[in-house]
Amino acid sequence: MSETLLDVHKLTCRFGGLIAVNEVSFAVQRDEIFGLIGPNGAGKTTLFNLITGLTPATSGRLTYRGDDIGRLKPHQIAAKGIARTFQNIRLFGNLSAQQNVMVSQHVHTRSGVVAGVFGLPGARSEERMVREEAMQLLEMVNLADRAHVKARNFPYGDQRRLEIARALALKPQLLLLDEPGAGMNPNEKASLSAFIRDVKDKFKLTIVLIEHNVPLVMGLCDRIAVLNFGELIALGNPAAVQNDRAVIEAYLGDEP
Amino acid sequence: MELTTLLQQLINGLSIGSVYAIFALGYTLIFSILGIINFAHGAVFTLGAYFTYALTGARFGFNGIFAEAQLPFGLPFLLALFVGAGLAGLVGVLVERALFRPLRARGADPLLTLVSSLGIAVALVNTIQYFVGAEVYSFPSSVLQGLPPSVNFGTPEAPLVVRTVQLVIGVISLVILVVLTWFINRTKTGRALRAVAEDSTTSSLLGINTDRLILLTFFISGFVGGIAGTLVGLSVTITGPYFGIAFGLKGLAVIVLGGLGNIPGAVLGGIVIGIAENLLPSSAVAYKDAIAFAILFVVLLIRPQGLLGRTQVQKV
Repeated sequence: MSETLLDVHKLTCRFGGLIAVNEVSFAVQRDEIFGLIGPNGAGKTTLFNLITGLTPATSGRLTYRGDDIGRLKPHQIAAKGIARTFQNIRLFGNLSAQQNVMVSQHVHTRSGVVAGVFGLPGARSEERMVREEAMQLLEMVNLADRAHVKARNFPYGDQRRLEIARALALKPQLLLLDEPGAGMNPNEKASLSAFIRDVKDKFKLTIVLIEHNVPLVMGLCDRIAVLNFGELIALGNPAAVQNDRAVIEAYLGDEP
Repeated sequence: MELTTLLQQLINGLSIGSVYAIFALGYTLIFSILGIINFAHGAVFTLGAYFTYALTGARFGFNGIFAEAQLPFGLPFLLALFVGAGLAGLVGVLVERALFRPLRARGADPLLTLVSSLGIAVALVNTIQYFVGAEVYSFPSSVLQGLPPSVNFGTPEAPLVVRTVQLVIGVISLVILVVLTWFINRTKTGRALRAVAEDSTTSSLLGINTDRLILLTFFISGFVGGIAGTLVGLSVTITGPYFGIAFGLKGLAVIVLGGLGNIPGAVLGGIVIGIAENLLPSSAVAYKDAIAFAILFVVLLIRPQGLLGRTQVQKV
Protein backbone atom coordinates (compact mmCIF):
# COMPACT_ATOMS: atom_id res chain seq x y z
CA MET A 1 0.00 0.00 0.00
CA SER A 2 1.44 3.32 -1.01
CA GLU A 3 1.59 6.30 1.27
CA THR A 4 -0.72 9.30 0.95
CA LEU A 5 1.31 12.47 0.45
CA LEU A 6 -1.44 15.03 -0.03
CA ASP A 7 -4.97 14.55 1.18
CA VAL A 8 -7.67 16.89 -0.06
CA HIS A 9 -10.85 16.46 1.94
CA LYS A 10 -14.18 18.10 1.04
CA LEU A 11 -12.34 21.24 0.01
CA THR A 12 -14.59 24.17 -0.87
CA CYS A 13 -13.76 27.63 -2.07
CA ARG A 14 -16.38 30.30 -2.61
CA PHE A 15 -15.83 33.73 -4.15
CA GLY A 16 -19.00 35.58 -3.21
CA GLY A 17 -21.79 33.71 -4.94
CA LEU A 18 -19.46 31.68 -7.14
CA ILE A 19 -18.41 28.24 -5.95
CA ALA A 20 -15.01 27.76 -7.57
CA VAL A 21 -14.26 24.46 -5.84
CA ASN A 22 -17.08 22.43 -4.34
CA GLU A 23 -16.41 19.70 -1.75
CA VAL A 24 -13.58 18.16 -3.72
CA SER A 25 -11.84 15.15 -2.17
CA PHE A 26 -8.93 13.10 -3.45
CA ALA A 27 -5.62 11.78 -2.20
CA VAL A 28 -2.31 11.97 -4.03
CA GLN A 29 -0.03 8.99 -3.37
CA ARG A 30 3.69 9.39 -3.00
CA ASP A 31 5.58 8.79 -6.22
CA GLU A 32 2.67 9.12 -8.63
CA ILE A 33 1.96 11.55 -11.43
CA PHE A 34 -1.52 12.80 -10.77
CA GLY A 35 -3.36 14.60 -13.55
CA LEU A 36 -5.95 17.33 -13.01
CA ILE A 37 -8.08 18.04 -16.05
CA GLY A 38 -11.33 19.78 -16.84
CA PRO A 39 -12.80 22.47 -19.06
CA ASN A 40 -11.83 26.12 -18.61
CA GLY A 41 -13.12 27.54 -15.35
CA ALA A 42 -13.46 24.10 -13.76
CA GLY A 43 -11.47 25.21 -10.71
CA LYS A 44 -8.12 23.56 -11.42
CA THR A 45 -5.91 26.58 -10.81
CA THR A 46 -8.03 27.58 -7.81
CA LEU A 47 -7.29 24.15 -6.40
CA PHE A 48 -3.56 24.82 -6.83
CA ASN A 49 -4.00 28.19 -5.12
CA LEU A 50 -5.74 26.47 -2.22
CA ILE A 51 -3.03 23.83 -1.84
CA THR A 52 -0.23 26.42 -1.91
CA GLY A 53 -1.99 28.72 0.56
CA LEU A 54 -2.55 31.64 -1.80
CA THR A 55 -6.31 31.42 -1.44
CA PRO A 56 -7.90 30.48 1.88
CA ALA A 57 -10.39 27.62 1.66
CA THR A 58 -13.96 28.33 2.68
CA SER A 59 -14.22 24.89 4.24
CA GLY A 60 -12.63 21.46 4.06
CA ARG A 61 -9.27 20.08 5.04
CA LEU A 62 -5.83 19.91 3.45
CA THR A 63 -3.33 17.45 4.83
CA TYR A 64 0.25 17.12 3.65
CA ARG A 65 2.33 14.23 5.03
CA GLY A 66 -0.10 13.99 7.92
CA ASP A 67 0.06 17.70 8.84
CA ASP A 68 -2.88 20.06 8.46
CA ILE A 69 -1.63 22.78 6.10
CA GLY A 70 -4.97 24.56 5.69
CA ARG A 71 -4.01 27.58 7.78
CA LEU A 72 -0.37 27.93 6.81
CA LYS A 73 0.98 30.88 4.85
CA PRO A 74 2.35 30.31 1.34
CA HIS A 75 5.98 30.57 2.44
CA GLN A 76 5.43 28.00 5.20
CA ILE A 77 3.82 25.58 2.78
CA ALA A 78 6.70 26.09 0.37
CA ALA A 79 9.14 25.35 3.18
CA LYS A 80 7.29 22.10 3.87
CA GLY A 81 8.15 20.92 0.38
CA ILE A 82 5.39 21.92 -2.03
CA ALA A 83 6.55 23.82 -5.11
CA ARG A 84 4.60 24.99 -8.13
CA THR A 85 4.85 26.57 -11.54
CA PHE A 86 2.34 28.86 -13.22
CA GLN A 87 0.13 28.69 -16.25
CA ASN A 88 1.33 32.15 -17.29
CA ILE A 89 5.00 31.97 -16.38
CA ARG A 90 5.97 34.11 -13.39
CA LEU A 91 9.72 34.46 -13.41
CA PHE A 92 11.56 37.40 -11.88
CA GLY A 93 12.23 39.07 -15.22
CA ASN A 94 14.91 41.46 -13.99
CA LEU A 95 16.92 38.77 -12.22
CA SER A 96 19.28 36.49 -14.09
CA ALA A 97 18.41 32.84 -14.61
CA GLN A 98 20.82 31.87 -11.87
CA GLN A 99 19.42 34.43 -9.43
CA ASN A 100 15.90 33.19 -10.12
CA VAL A 101 16.94 29.73 -9.05
CA MET A 102 18.90 31.03 -6.06
CA VAL A 103 15.84 32.85 -4.70
CA SER A 104 14.11 29.58 -3.94
CA GLN A 105 17.18 28.19 -2.20
CA HIS A 106 16.64 30.93 0.39
CA VAL A 107 14.72 28.65 2.77
CA HIS A 108 17.54 26.12 2.85
CA THR A 109 20.20 28.56 3.99
CA ARG A 110 20.70 29.93 7.45
CA SER A 111 23.07 32.88 7.40
CA GLY A 112 21.40 36.13 8.43
CA VAL A 113 21.27 39.67 7.14
CA VAL A 114 24.20 40.92 9.19
CA ALA A 115 26.49 38.06 8.14
CA GLY A 116 25.58 38.78 4.53
CA VAL A 117 26.24 42.52 4.73
CA PHE A 118 29.63 42.08 6.32
CA GLY A 119 30.54 39.18 4.07
CA LEU A 120 31.32 36.86 6.98
CA PRO A 121 32.96 33.56 5.98
CA GLY A 122 29.88 31.47 6.78
CA ALA A 123 27.66 33.57 4.57
CA ARG A 124 30.25 33.62 1.81
CA SER A 125 30.75 29.86 1.64
CA GLU A 126 27.00 29.33 1.82
CA GLU A 127 26.54 31.77 -1.06
CA ARG A 128 29.15 29.86 -3.08
CA MET A 129 27.40 26.56 -2.42
CA VAL A 130 24.02 27.99 -3.39
CA ARG A 131 25.50 29.37 -6.59
CA GLU A 132 26.95 25.97 -7.53
CA GLU A 133 23.70 24.16 -6.82
CA ALA A 134 21.86 26.68 -8.96
CA MET A 135 24.29 26.02 -11.81
CA GLN A 136 23.68 22.26 -11.55
CA LEU A 137 19.96 22.80 -11.85
CA LEU A 138 20.46 25.11 -14.81
CA GLU A 139 22.66 22.50 -16.46
CA MET A 140 19.90 19.97 -16.05
CA VAL A 141 17.48 22.19 -17.97
CA ASN A 142 20.17 23.16 -20.51
CA LEU A 143 20.34 26.80 -19.54
CA ALA A 144 23.72 26.85 -17.81
CA ASP A 145 25.40 28.63 -20.71
CA ARG A 146 23.01 31.57 -20.23
CA ALA A 147 22.97 31.62 -16.43
CA HIS A 148 23.63 35.35 -16.29
CA VAL A 149 21.06 36.42 -18.84
CA LYS A 150 18.01 38.17 -17.40
CA ALA A 151 15.01 35.86 -17.30
CA ARG A 152 12.83 38.14 -19.39
CA ASN A 153 15.20 37.77 -22.33
CA PHE A 154 14.66 34.01 -22.62
CA PRO A 155 12.42 32.51 -25.28
CA TYR A 156 9.17 31.01 -24.08
CA GLY A 157 10.16 27.36 -23.93
CA ASP A 158 13.32 28.18 -22.00
CA GLN A 159 11.32 30.26 -19.53
CA ARG A 160 9.13 27.23 -18.85
CA ARG A 161 12.16 25.09 -18.10
CA LEU A 162 13.73 27.83 -15.99
CA GLU A 163 10.55 28.03 -13.95
CA ILE A 164 10.73 24.29 -13.31
CA ALA A 165 14.41 24.56 -12.32
CA ARG A 166 13.47 27.33 -9.89
CA ALA A 167 10.71 25.20 -8.38
CA LEU A 168 13.14 22.29 -7.99
CA ALA A 169 15.60 24.46 -6.09
CA LEU A 170 13.07 24.49 -3.28
CA LYS A 171 13.85 20.74 -2.93
CA PRO A 172 10.17 19.84 -2.93
CA GLN A 173 8.61 16.42 -2.56
CA LEU A 174 5.44 17.56 -4.26
CA LEU A 175 5.59 19.54 -7.47
CA LEU A 176 2.48 21.20 -8.88
CA LEU A 177 2.75 21.97 -12.58
CA ASP A 178 0.10 24.31 -13.99
CA GLU A 179 -0.15 23.63 -17.74
CA PRO A 180 3.53 23.03 -18.37
CA GLY A 181 2.82 22.48 -22.07
CA ALA A 182 0.88 25.70 -22.63
CA GLY A 183 2.19 27.63 -25.60
CA MET A 184 4.66 24.93 -26.60
CA ASN A 185 4.91 23.69 -30.16
CA PRO A 186 4.29 19.96 -30.91
CA ASN A 187 8.01 19.18 -30.84
CA GLU A 188 8.49 20.78 -27.46
CA LYS A 189 5.38 19.06 -26.15
CA ALA A 190 6.69 15.69 -27.26
CA SER A 191 9.89 16.13 -25.30
CA LEU A 192 8.01 17.56 -22.31
CA SER A 193 6.70 14.13 -21.23
CA ALA A 194 10.16 12.66 -21.17
CA PHE A 195 11.47 15.72 -19.34
CA ILE A 196 8.80 15.51 -16.63
CA ARG A 197 9.44 11.77 -16.09
CA ASP A 198 13.15 12.42 -15.96
CA VAL A 199 12.78 15.18 -13.38
CA LYS A 200 10.42 13.05 -11.33
CA ASP A 201 12.87 10.15 -11.15
CA LYS A 202 15.92 12.29 -10.53
CA PHE A 203 14.34 14.26 -7.68
CA LYS A 204 12.07 11.50 -6.33
CA LEU A 205 9.06 13.75 -6.82
CA THR A 206 5.35 13.33 -6.68
CA ILE A 207 3.74 15.44 -9.37
CA VAL A 208 0.30 16.96 -9.73
CA LEU A 209 -0.22 18.26 -13.22
CA ILE A 210 -2.86 20.48 -14.80
CA GLU A 211 -2.90 20.02 -18.55
CA HIS A 212 -5.29 20.47 -21.46
CA ASN A 213 -3.36 18.39 -23.92
CA VAL A 214 -5.16 15.03 -23.72
CA PRO A 215 -2.51 12.76 -25.27
CA LEU A 216 0.11 14.25 -22.93
CA VAL A 217 -2.02 13.67 -19.84
CA MET A 218 -3.11 10.18 -20.85
CA GLY A 219 0.43 9.10 -21.60
CA LEU A 220 2.01 10.63 -18.53
CA CYS A 221 -0.35 10.32 -15.59
CA ASP A 222 -0.91 7.34 -13.32
CA ARG A 223 -4.27 8.66 -12.21
CA ILE A 224 -6.45 11.51 -13.33
CA ALA A 225 -9.05 13.63 -11.55
CA VAL A 226 -11.61 15.45 -13.69
CA LEU A 227 -13.17 18.69 -12.47
CA ASN A 228 -16.20 20.41 -13.95
CA PHE A 229 -17.76 23.58 -12.51
CA GLY A 230 -15.78 23.08 -9.33
CA GLU A 231 -16.89 19.51 -8.75
CA LEU A 232 -14.95 16.30 -9.02
CA ILE A 233 -16.77 14.25 -11.66
CA ALA A 234 -14.33 11.39 -12.19
CA LEU A 235 -11.18 9.93 -10.66
CA GLY A 236 -9.22 6.94 -11.85
CA ASN A 237 -6.63 5.64 -14.27
CA PRO A 238 -6.45 7.24 -17.73
CA ALA A 239 -8.38 4.51 -19.56
CA ALA A 240 -11.26 4.55 -17.08
CA VAL A 241 -11.51 8.33 -17.10
CA GLN A 242 -11.42 8.47 -20.87
CA ASN A 243 -14.50 6.24 -21.12
CA ASP A 244 -16.38 7.86 -18.25
CA ARG A 245 -19.77 9.13 -19.36
CA ALA A 246 -19.74 12.25 -17.17
CA VAL A 247 -16.34 13.20 -18.53
CA ILE A 248 -17.43 12.81 -22.13
CA GLU A 249 -20.46 14.97 -21.44
CA ALA A 250 -18.42 17.64 -19.72
CA TYR A 251 -16.06 17.89 -22.64
CA LEU A 252 -18.42 17.37 -25.57
CA GLY A 253 -21.67 18.67 -24.14
CA ASP A 254 -24.65 16.42 -23.39
CA GLU A 255 -26.61 16.99 -26.58
CA PRO A 256 -26.85 13.87 -28.73
CA MET B 1 33.08 80.74 -12.36
CA GLU B 2 36.68 80.12 -11.47
CA LEU B 3 38.00 76.61 -11.75
CA THR B 4 38.73 76.26 -8.04
CA THR B 5 35.31 77.58 -7.11
CA LEU B 6 33.80 75.15 -9.59
CA LEU B 7 35.71 72.24 -8.08
CA GLN B 8 34.74 73.39 -4.62
CA GLN B 9 31.08 73.52 -5.53
CA LEU B 10 31.31 70.14 -7.27
CA ILE B 11 32.67 68.57 -4.11
CA ASN B 12 30.00 70.25 -2.01
CA GLY B 13 27.35 69.16 -4.50
CA LEU B 14 28.58 65.59 -4.51
CA SER B 15 28.59 65.59 -0.76
CA ILE B 16 25.05 66.88 -0.21
CA GLY B 17 23.93 64.94 -3.29
CA SER B 18 24.96 61.67 -1.68
CA VAL B 19 22.92 62.60 1.38
CA TYR B 20 19.95 63.19 -0.94
CA ALA B 21 20.71 59.84 -2.51
CA ILE B 22 20.63 57.80 0.71
CA PHE B 23 17.50 59.61 1.84
CA ALA B 24 15.82 58.95 -1.50
CA LEU B 25 16.82 55.28 -1.28
CA GLY B 26 14.60 55.07 1.78
CA TYR B 27 11.64 56.07 -0.37
CA THR B 28 12.70 53.92 -3.28
CA LEU B 29 13.13 50.69 -1.32
CA ILE B 30 9.60 50.91 0.05
CA PHE B 31 8.18 52.05 -3.26
CA SER B 32 9.79 49.21 -5.16
CA ILE B 33 8.29 46.64 -2.80
CA LEU B 34 4.88 48.09 -1.94
CA GLY B 35 4.32 50.52 -4.81
CA ILE B 36 3.56 53.24 -2.27
CA ILE B 37 5.34 56.47 -1.34
CA ASN B 38 5.81 56.50 2.41
CA PHE B 39 5.25 60.13 3.38
CA ALA B 40 6.27 59.39 6.95
CA HIS B 41 9.85 59.08 5.67
CA GLY B 42 10.48 62.82 6.05
CA ALA B 43 9.34 62.71 9.66
CA VAL B 44 11.58 59.71 10.37
CA PHE B 45 14.45 61.73 8.88
CA THR B 46 13.71 64.49 11.42
CA LEU B 47 13.50 62.00 14.26
CA GLY B 48 16.87 60.54 13.31
CA ALA B 49 18.44 63.98 13.64
CA TYR B 50 16.89 64.56 17.08
CA PHE B 51 17.87 61.07 18.29
CA THR B 52 21.50 61.63 17.34
CA TYR B 53 21.41 65.12 18.81
CA ALA B 54 20.22 63.74 22.14
CA LEU B 55 22.66 60.82 22.08
CA THR B 56 25.66 63.09 21.69
CA GLY B 57 24.66 64.40 25.12
CA ALA B 58 23.58 67.81 23.84
CA ARG B 59 21.01 69.79 25.82
CA PHE B 60 17.46 70.45 24.55
CA GLY B 61 16.00 73.96 24.39
CA PHE B 62 13.52 75.88 26.48
CA ASN B 63 10.26 74.49 25.17
CA GLY B 64 8.47 71.17 25.21
CA ILE B 65 8.36 68.35 27.72
CA PHE B 66 12.10 67.78 27.39
CA ALA B 67 12.97 71.43 28.07
CA GLU B 68 16.60 71.71 29.15
CA ALA B 69 16.79 67.94 29.44
CA GLN B 70 20.02 66.17 28.65
CA LEU B 71 21.17 62.57 28.67
CA PRO B 72 23.51 61.77 31.55
CA PHE B 73 26.05 60.54 29.00
CA GLY B 74 27.26 61.60 25.58
CA LEU B 75 28.21 59.19 22.83
CA PRO B 76 30.94 60.02 20.33
CA PHE B 77 29.34 61.44 17.20
CA LEU B 78 29.83 58.43 14.92
CA LEU B 79 28.34 56.04 17.47
CA ALA B 80 25.45 58.42 18.21
CA LEU B 81 24.82 58.65 14.47
CA PHE B 82 24.39 54.91 14.06
CA VAL B 83 22.44 54.35 17.28
CA GLY B 84 20.19 57.30 16.36
CA ALA B 85 19.70 55.84 12.88
CA GLY B 86 18.90 52.46 14.44
CA LEU B 87 16.19 54.13 16.55
CA ALA B 88 14.84 55.86 13.44
CA GLY B 89 14.80 52.43 11.78
CA LEU B 90 12.70 51.11 14.66
CA VAL B 91 10.26 53.98 14.12
CA GLY B 92 10.08 52.86 10.50
CA VAL B 93 9.29 49.33 11.69
CA LEU B 94 6.59 50.71 13.97
CA VAL B 95 5.02 52.62 11.08
CA GLU B 96 4.90 49.40 9.05
CA ARG B 97 3.36 47.37 11.87
CA ALA B 98 0.87 50.01 12.97
CA LEU B 99 -0.15 51.33 9.59
CA PHE B 100 1.05 49.66 6.41
CA ARG B 101 0.60 46.01 7.37
CA PRO B 102 -2.95 46.28 8.74
CA LEU B 103 -4.02 48.28 5.70
CA ARG B 104 -2.32 45.79 3.39
CA ALA B 105 -3.98 42.86 5.12
CA ARG B 106 -7.36 44.49 4.53
CA GLY B 107 -6.55 45.08 0.88
CA ALA B 108 -6.75 48.86 1.17
CA ASP B 109 -6.35 51.01 -1.91
CA PRO B 110 -2.75 52.29 -2.26
CA LEU B 111 -4.05 55.85 -2.27
CA LEU B 112 -5.58 55.31 1.20
CA THR B 113 -2.29 53.99 2.51
CA LEU B 114 -0.48 56.96 1.04
CA VAL B 115 -2.82 59.45 2.70
CA SER B 116 -2.53 57.54 5.99
CA SER B 117 1.26 57.78 5.81
CA LEU B 118 0.84 61.53 5.39
CA GLY B 119 -1.26 61.43 8.56
CA ILE B 120 1.49 59.58 10.42
CA ALA B 121 3.98 62.20 9.21
CA VAL B 122 1.87 65.00 10.68
CA ALA B 123 1.38 63.07 13.92
CA LEU B 124 5.12 62.46 14.25
CA VAL B 125 5.94 66.10 13.57
CA ASN B 126 3.48 67.20 16.25
CA THR B 127 4.83 64.65 18.69
CA ILE B 128 8.33 65.99 18.14
CA GLN B 129 7.11 69.53 18.76
CA TYR B 130 5.35 68.39 21.93
CA PHE B 131 8.53 66.91 23.30
CA VAL B 132 11.30 69.21 22.15
CA GLY B 133 9.58 72.38 20.99
CA ALA B 134 9.98 74.12 17.66
CA GLU B 135 13.40 75.61 18.17
CA VAL B 136 16.36 75.43 15.85
CA TYR B 137 19.02 73.06 17.13
CA SER B 138 22.65 73.06 16.09
CA PHE B 139 24.97 70.20 16.80
CA PRO B 140 27.64 71.46 19.19
CA SER B 141 30.84 72.13 17.30
CA SER B 142 32.57 69.66 19.61
CA VAL B 143 31.04 66.71 17.72
CA LEU B 144 33.78 66.95 15.13
CA GLN B 145 36.38 67.39 17.79
CA GLY B 146 39.96 67.31 16.71
CA LEU B 147 39.16 68.01 13.07
CA PRO B 148 40.08 71.34 11.46
CA PRO B 149 37.04 73.35 10.27
CA SER B 150 38.14 73.06 6.66
CA VAL B 151 40.58 71.19 4.46
CA ASN B 152 42.63 72.72 1.68
CA PHE B 153 42.98 70.38 -1.31
CA GLY B 154 44.82 72.99 -3.36
CA THR B 155 48.09 74.77 -2.79
CA PRO B 156 48.56 77.81 -0.54
CA GLU B 157 48.63 79.95 -3.71
CA ALA B 158 45.58 78.37 -5.32
CA PRO B 159 43.46 77.18 -2.40
CA LEU B 160 40.69 74.65 -2.84
CA VAL B 161 39.07 74.81 0.55
CA VAL B 162 36.24 72.49 1.52
CA ARG B 163 34.40 72.52 4.83
CA THR B 164 35.22 69.47 6.92
CA VAL B 165 31.54 68.95 7.62
CA GLN B 166 30.92 68.58 3.89
CA LEU B 167 33.65 65.98 3.66
CA VAL B 168 32.35 64.08 6.67
CA ILE B 169 28.78 63.88 5.42
CA GLY B 170 29.98 63.03 1.92
CA VAL B 171 32.20 60.19 3.10
CA ILE B 172 29.60 58.74 5.47
CA SER B 173 26.84 58.78 2.88
CA LEU B 174 29.09 57.33 0.18
CA VAL B 175 29.99 54.47 2.53
CA ILE B 176 26.29 53.87 3.24
CA LEU B 177 25.56 53.92 -0.49
CA VAL B 178 28.23 51.35 -1.20
CA VAL B 179 27.16 49.05 1.64
CA LEU B 180 23.50 49.29 0.65
CA THR B 181 24.27 48.58 -3.00
CA TRP B 182 26.38 45.61 -1.96
CA PHE B 183 23.60 44.37 0.29
CA ILE B 184 20.94 44.58 -2.41
CA ASN B 185 23.00 43.10 -5.23
CA ARG B 186 25.30 40.66 -3.54
CA THR B 187 23.62 39.10 -0.52
CA LYS B 188 20.89 36.52 -0.37
CA THR B 189 18.58 38.84 1.57
CA GLY B 190 19.09 41.52 -1.04
CA ARG B 191 18.25 39.01 -3.74
CA ALA B 192 15.09 38.03 -1.89
CA LEU B 193 14.25 41.71 -1.59
CA ARG B 194 14.55 42.17 -5.34
CA ALA B 195 12.42 39.10 -5.91
CA VAL B 196 9.71 40.41 -3.58
CA ALA B 197 9.90 43.80 -5.31
CA GLU B 198 9.20 42.14 -8.63
CA ASP B 199 6.52 39.70 -7.56
CA SER B 200 5.74 39.19 -3.90
CA THR B 201 3.20 36.42 -4.50
CA THR B 202 5.64 34.25 -6.40
CA SER B 203 8.34 34.98 -3.82
CA SER B 204 6.11 33.72 -1.02
CA LEU B 205 5.44 30.54 -3.00
CA LEU B 206 9.19 30.02 -3.16
CA GLY B 207 9.41 30.08 0.61
CA ILE B 208 10.19 33.73 1.24
CA ASN B 209 8.53 35.31 4.26
CA THR B 210 7.47 38.51 2.55
CA ASP B 211 6.13 40.23 5.67
CA ARG B 212 9.48 39.84 7.39
CA LEU B 213 11.32 41.25 4.38
CA ILE B 214 8.96 44.20 4.25
CA LEU B 215 9.66 44.83 7.93
CA LEU B 216 13.39 44.74 7.21
CA THR B 217 12.88 47.17 4.34
CA PHE B 218 11.14 49.62 6.65
CA PHE B 219 14.00 49.31 9.10
CA ILE B 220 16.61 49.99 6.43
CA SER B 221 14.55 52.85 5.05
CA GLY B 222 14.20 54.44 8.50
CA PHE B 223 17.88 53.82 9.20
CA VAL B 224 19.14 55.60 6.07
CA GLY B 225 16.53 58.32 6.61
CA GLY B 226 17.85 58.83 10.15
CA ILE B 227 21.45 58.99 8.91
CA ALA B 228 20.47 61.55 6.28
CA GLY B 229 18.61 63.61 8.92
CA THR B 230 21.61 63.75 11.18
CA LEU B 231 24.00 64.60 8.35
CA VAL B 232 21.86 67.45 7.08
CA GLY B 233 21.39 68.65 10.67
CA LEU B 234 25.13 68.59 11.07
CA SER B 235 25.74 70.44 7.83
CA VAL B 236 23.24 73.22 8.51
CA THR B 237 21.01 72.97 11.58
CA ILE B 238 17.97 71.03 12.70
CA THR B 239 15.43 73.63 11.74
CA GLY B 240 12.60 72.32 13.91
CA PRO B 241 9.97 69.59 13.74
CA TYR B 242 9.18 70.42 10.11
CA PHE B 243 12.84 69.89 9.23
CA GLY B 244 12.15 66.74 7.24
CA ILE B 245 9.00 67.77 5.45
CA ALA B 246 10.63 70.19 3.02
CA PHE B 247 13.49 67.76 2.63
CA GLY B 248 10.98 65.02 2.00
CA LEU B 249 9.58 66.92 -0.95
CA LYS B 250 13.02 67.22 -2.43
CA GLY B 251 13.49 63.51 -1.87
CA LEU B 252 10.41 62.94 -3.99
CA ALA B 253 11.94 65.07 -6.74
CA VAL B 254 15.05 62.91 -6.50
CA ILE B 255 13.29 59.56 -6.90
CA VAL B 256 11.02 60.76 -9.66
CA LEU B 257 14.00 62.27 -11.46
CA GLY B 258 15.95 59.03 -11.22
CA GLY B 259 13.00 56.79 -12.08
CA LEU B 260 10.48 55.56 -9.51
CA GLY B 261 11.55 52.41 -7.74
CA ASN B 262 14.91 52.39 -9.47
CA ILE B 263 17.81 52.14 -7.03
CA PRO B 264 20.68 53.42 -9.20
CA GLY B 265 18.21 56.07 -10.39
CA ALA B 266 17.72 57.37 -6.86
CA VAL B 267 21.49 57.67 -6.43
CA LEU B 268 21.96 59.44 -9.74
CA GLY B 269 18.97 61.73 -9.10
CA GLY B 270 20.34 62.71 -5.68
CA ILE B 271 23.76 63.55 -7.02
CA VAL B 272 22.41 65.46 -10.02
CA ILE B 273 20.21 67.64 -7.82
CA GLY B 274 22.95 68.11 -5.22
CA ILE B 275 25.46 69.29 -7.80
CA ALA B 276 22.94 71.44 -9.69
CA GLU B 277 22.01 73.29 -6.50
CA ASN B 278 25.63 73.99 -5.69
CA LEU B 279 26.44 75.31 -9.14
CA LEU B 280 23.83 78.05 -8.81
CA PRO B 281 25.15 81.60 -8.68
CA SER B 282 24.91 82.94 -5.14
CA SER B 283 22.13 85.35 -6.13
CA ALA B 284 19.89 82.38 -6.97
CA VAL B 285 20.58 80.27 -3.89
CA ALA B 286 17.31 81.30 -2.29
CA TYR B 287 15.52 79.60 -5.18
CA LYS B 288 17.41 76.32 -5.11
CA ASP B 289 14.37 74.23 -4.22
CA ALA B 290 12.45 75.75 -7.12
CA ILE B 291 15.36 74.96 -9.37
CA ALA B 292 15.46 71.33 -8.23
CA PHE B 293 11.84 70.97 -9.25
CA ALA B 294 12.42 72.86 -12.50
CA ILE B 295 15.09 70.30 -13.41
CA LEU B 296 12.65 67.56 -12.54
CA PHE B 297 9.98 69.10 -14.73
CA VAL B 298 12.25 69.48 -17.75
CA VAL B 299 13.62 65.93 -17.42
CA LEU B 300 10.14 64.47 -17.13
CA LEU B 301 9.05 66.26 -20.28
CA ILE B 302 11.83 64.50 -22.16
CA ARG B 303 11.90 61.21 -20.24
CA PRO B 304 8.58 60.65 -18.43
CA GLN B 305 9.99 57.47 -16.87
CA GLY B 306 12.85 59.38 -15.21
CA LEU B 307 16.58 59.25 -15.94
CA LEU B 308 17.09 55.53 -15.42
CA GLY B 309 13.49 54.34 -15.21
CA ARG B 310 12.13 51.82 -17.65
CA THR B 311 8.87 52.29 -19.44
CA GLN B 312 6.27 50.39 -17.48
CA VAL B 313 5.54 46.94 -18.79
CA GLN B 314 1.89 46.16 -18.38
CA LYS B 315 1.38 43.33 -15.90
CA VAL B 316 -0.98 40.62 -17.06
